[in-house]
Amino acid sequence: MPPDTSSRDLASLADEELIQLMQRGDARAFELIYERHCGAAFSLAYRMVGTRNAAEDVVQEAFLAIWRSGSRYDRSRGSVRTWSLGIVHHRAIDALRRTIVHDRRRSSDEGVAEQLEARERTDVEAARREEARVIREALDGLPAEQSHVIELAYFGGFTHTEIADMLDTPVGTVKGRMRLGLHKMRDRLGAKEVAP
Amino acid sequence: MSAPDHDHWADSTAAYLLGALPDDDVAGFEHHLETCVACRRELAELRVAADALPASAPPVTPPAALKTRIMAVVESEAELLSAAGEGADRPAVAPAPARRRGWLSGLLARPAPAAALAALLLLAGGVGGALLAGGGDEGARTITAQVNRAAAPDARVSLEVDGDGRGVLVGRNLPPPPRGRIYQVWLLRPGAKAPEPTPALFGVSTDGSAAVAVPGNLDGVKQVLVTHEPLGGSRAPTRAPILSVPTTT
Repeated sequence: MPPDTSSRDLASLADEELIQLMQRGDARAFELIYERHCGAAFSLAYRMVGTRNAAEDVVQEAFLAIWRSGSRYDRSRGSVRTWSLGIVHHRAIDALRRTIVHDRRRSSDEGVAEQLEARERTDVEAARREEARVIREALDGLPAEQSHVIELAYFGGFTHTEIADMLDTPVGTVKGRMRLGLHKMRDRLGAKEVAP
Repeated sequence: MSAPDHDHWADSTAAYLLGALPDDDVAGFEHHLETCVACRRELAELRVAADALPASAPPVTPPAALKTRIMAVVESEAELLSAAGEGADRPAVAPAPARRRGWLSGLLARPAPAAALAALLLLAGGVGGALLAGGGDEGARTITAQVNRAAAPDARVSLEVDGDGRGVLVGRNLPPPPRGRIYQVWLLRPGAKAPEPTPALFGVSTDGSAAVAVPGNLDGVKQVLVTHEPLGGSRAPTRAPILSVPTTT
């Protein structure tokens, strides 16, 4: 049973409970979901599209889609955070593939200085920074040709055929590097058992 | 799973997780997944790494105004869904959302949607004025609409009601409805759980102006609402109102 919408302390609810309330049209539940994940969402979008304005558009599209499609969340396939960031990722790829953002990113006048560091306000954020560092190390620790194709694909929004053209490398080699790279990352992140 | 099928897709798992499969291949790979245990297993294994990637992005703080814009849309849709009750369709998963910047110009650049249908109901502002002139003047009033600024940042809309209780919505700087959709007028009556649909469907002229007669009499109507709906209109609103006009004081 989803919790009572009149609950005085929505903030104490888990994401999965908030999603149930959101499915019933509870805007406050959605607001909490947004507050919990907007930082990661905006960081991912910014990393991908390269400007604050374009990142705002991506995050706005993604969170409105989350609000409108909460019923599609399936907790058996991962956390609300993973699901939300997956939607952000897809929206950013859409934006990149509309090519506008690609052009904007290349001619960006905002530059690295726009990467305003988020303030470290809570222990949760500190933990996430540590998590980010570990993941970054796992990615950076891959052979360069593997991390390169993973970054081009995931953050650049390029298809394997585009990457193959870009690197003048066979498509099969590009796909193989992606696969090897993700396997190594998984091993380095210490995954143990994963259900099929 | 057939061996040739698996051979074809065996190296695609990582590309799929990274979003790097070309659109044309995604459905084919997902179809293959339904029958291939090996690929499903590898997908689950590699997902651990792929799902971790977003966290490696350098942290950047979103602006507070972004939340304000998103919540404006969410709250207005929540209100409408609440008013429409169980019968309301949930908004579609991937509509063109209101966008902060570049949105209006983007829509204006599109071809006029549903031009033929809209032309039946689209009235020039001057015509709307003429309709008003036909009604009794005593008790005539003009009510300014409350506009969802996230959806129509520059729109100015009013409801002009004549002495007989007949109304005309007159707007300027309205964005055209998204491709394949049309604006629809709704009436909310006191105590009603859901707004009632009207046959008043309308588009927007190229200069952003529109005027449409509200069917029937506005006596006993609490609010006039406008949403954009699929061509032909809807029986229950599928979107948050772009504007609302309180008709009672």
